[in-house]
Amino acid sequence: MRKYELIRETFCRRGFIWIVHVVWLVLYGGFWWLFLPNGPEFGRFVFIWSGFFLPLALTAGIFGDDIASGRICVLVTKPLWAGELYICRVLGVTLQATAHFILTGCIVLILHLIMRKGSMEYLGTWLFASWLLFITVAALSTSLSVVVGRTFNSLLILVVVVTVYFILGLLMSSMRQKADTGVLTAFIRYAWPPFELLSKFAGGEYGKYSLIVGRFSVSKSVACVVHSLFLTVVYSLIGIILLGKRQFSRQRD
Amino acid sequence: MQIRNKINIWITVAVAGLILEGWAFYVVSASPEHWRPSMIVKDEPEARALYNTMIETLRKAENLSYKSACSGPDDRVCTYQIQLKKPNAFRIGVTNDPSLKINTLVGNGDWLWIYWQGVRPYLNIDDEESYAKTRSEVYIKKANPAGKDSIAREVDLLGIIWHGLILEPSTFHGFTDPLESYIDGVRSRGSYDVRGKECDIIEVSYMKAQRTRYFWICKEDHLPRQIKQIDRLAENHVRVEEWSEIKSKAMIPEHKVTWSPPEGWRRWNVPGPDDVLLKSGQKAPDFDLLSADGGRIKLSDYRGKTVWLCMWECGCPGCRKVLPDLQKFYEENRYKDLIILGFNCIDNKKMARRFMRENALTFPNILDSSQDAEKVMLRGYKNKTKTMPLHTIIDAQGDVMDAWCGYVEGHE
Repeated sequence: MRKYELIRETFCRRGFIWIVHVVWLVLYGGFWWLFLPNGPEFGRFVFIWSGFFLPLALTAGIFGDDIASGRICVLVTKPLWAGELYICRVLGVTLQATAHFILTGCIVLILHLIMRKGSMEYLGTWLFASWLLFITVAALSTSLSVVVGRTFNSLLILVVVVTVYFILGLLMSSMRQKADTGVLTAFIRYAWPPFELLSKFAGGEYGKYSLIVGRFSVSKSVACVVHSLFLTVVYSLIGIILLGKRQFSRQRD
Repeated sequence: MQIRNKINIWITVAVAGLILEGWAFYVVSASPEHWRPSMIVKDEPEARALYNTMIETLRKAENLSYKSACSGPDDRVCTYQIQLKKPNAFRIGVTNDPSLKINTLVGNGDWLWIYWQGVRPYLNIDDEESYAKTRSEVYIKKANPAGKDSIAREVDLLGIIWHGLILEPSTFHGFTDPLESYIDGVRSRGSYDVRGKECDIIEVSYMKAQRTRYFWICKEDHLPRQIKQIDRLAENHVRVEEWSEIKSKAMIPEHKVTWSPPEGWRRWNVPGPDDVLLKSGQKAPDFDLLSADGGRIKLSDYRGKTVWLCMWECGCPGCRKVLPDLQKFYEENRYKDLIILGFNCIDNKKMARRFMRENALTFPNILDSSQDAEKVMLRGYKNKTKTMPLHTIIDAQGDVMDAWCGYVEGHE
């Protein structure tokens, strides 16, 4: 019951959460209706909007709000273990995402059947990759929310990710002929939320257009999924440790 | 006891997770993005036999029709409806994904016609003026001797080709792909089901794995169902050709493989790659680009000497033939006022250097895959069709003396 309440709270904690879901779903429908994209085009749109922006919106201040109001002191007292609180929150957001992606698939399917246009090719893989990215970003944002006040956790991730990719893009273009950017790209590829790996996996780069053929291509896709889940676990563990270690005061921020 | 059990479970889960991640990291990072010597395929007799059988089946077919969808990771698809008839007749209708127009290439064994539905697309050999004059109600007519020409090359003139054909359709007419003589080896990669047909997968590497092709050959009729090509240039390029609606004994009526222009249509003498190059007397555009030895080469530094500028790439059979000749020429004229200057803006540096080493090319070379270098080739030297090799002779004052594309066997 306690767990159920903690999970349910992630949806009810702020009034705008259901609006975010509705707006996002309308966006998908609108994008499909207006542009009649093929599967990969729509997949990329969903990947960014629901894989990256949606978790930022849903986890904005997920712990920051409670820390700011002093409610966190009540929440982290025994018998509630800090880890349990963290896991329930991430689980709550993940369940919301799961329902969100199922609804997305249904909307697209209905529009596809009504309009008899567009393509559903690769849509399943794109939705799955978006879900994986969602939980990774949600875990990162939730962990950050333990140490960053109010809703700045999401804002910080947004600013850092956009800035880093912008700088990386500039460096890659200017350093292409002069030096090896391998270390930089390796860090972004493996320690960062797995944008590149998951988009390659969903876009079929480990399938139809992969540089490899045969069973290794399948194992590469599986490895992408495993790595993404591993990152989620690592980000979550960091969050749990931070939540367990941090001393909270009852005073409002 | 219970706590100890719990700790043991957590340790087991953590170790299993780390092992799994170790495996995932190894698999994800062990990417074949960069060329490695192990990519050069060693011949396996059974796989080679499969490849030869596929070529023979193509050549022995009386008639052949199939639909070929060529695509790449950019999600763009070109669809070709191909009809081939012996001895040298064919009809190819091409369309691409958003376009409903079908542009057509027809050959009857003596002549080849190319025509477009409605306004023709802007081709890379066009300039604004010529395009305005020839944008509609025109056609191309060329002589087409049996088994001597590549259809896949002519298809480019249709102008809507995002992804070209991988397997040369002229193989059916007895044409031999120039790449055939550069096959390193053929090996088997197992079997796979393609749209309900059991296929053998073979891997063929060309030119020391500068290019690799995978063929999914149907066990039933020995014809391909899917072909994947990887070009290892400055970056890797992957494209896929998928065959469907294959009819090896298709009835192709005579009127399908001949064409006469509608009334009022004009014949367009399409300029060849040589026609759009720099003309004699024009100033050769200067450049300052990276050289093979890591330094920089500036064309104007050679002012006062005659420069033979040769633009090349590893994946071009003509370049592979001409560069050793140029090296010989360079050695013979080394101390005269003639400079041989190579220029490669297409290939991966590692591969280009390896190619130079293998062919003992010692003349100065530009190896620069930057956009600046590409601009020099496309806009400066007007090699809009990227035809290789491209030769430009530049005199001591920096003016072009002559420019031409390609390599002619036995040409001195």
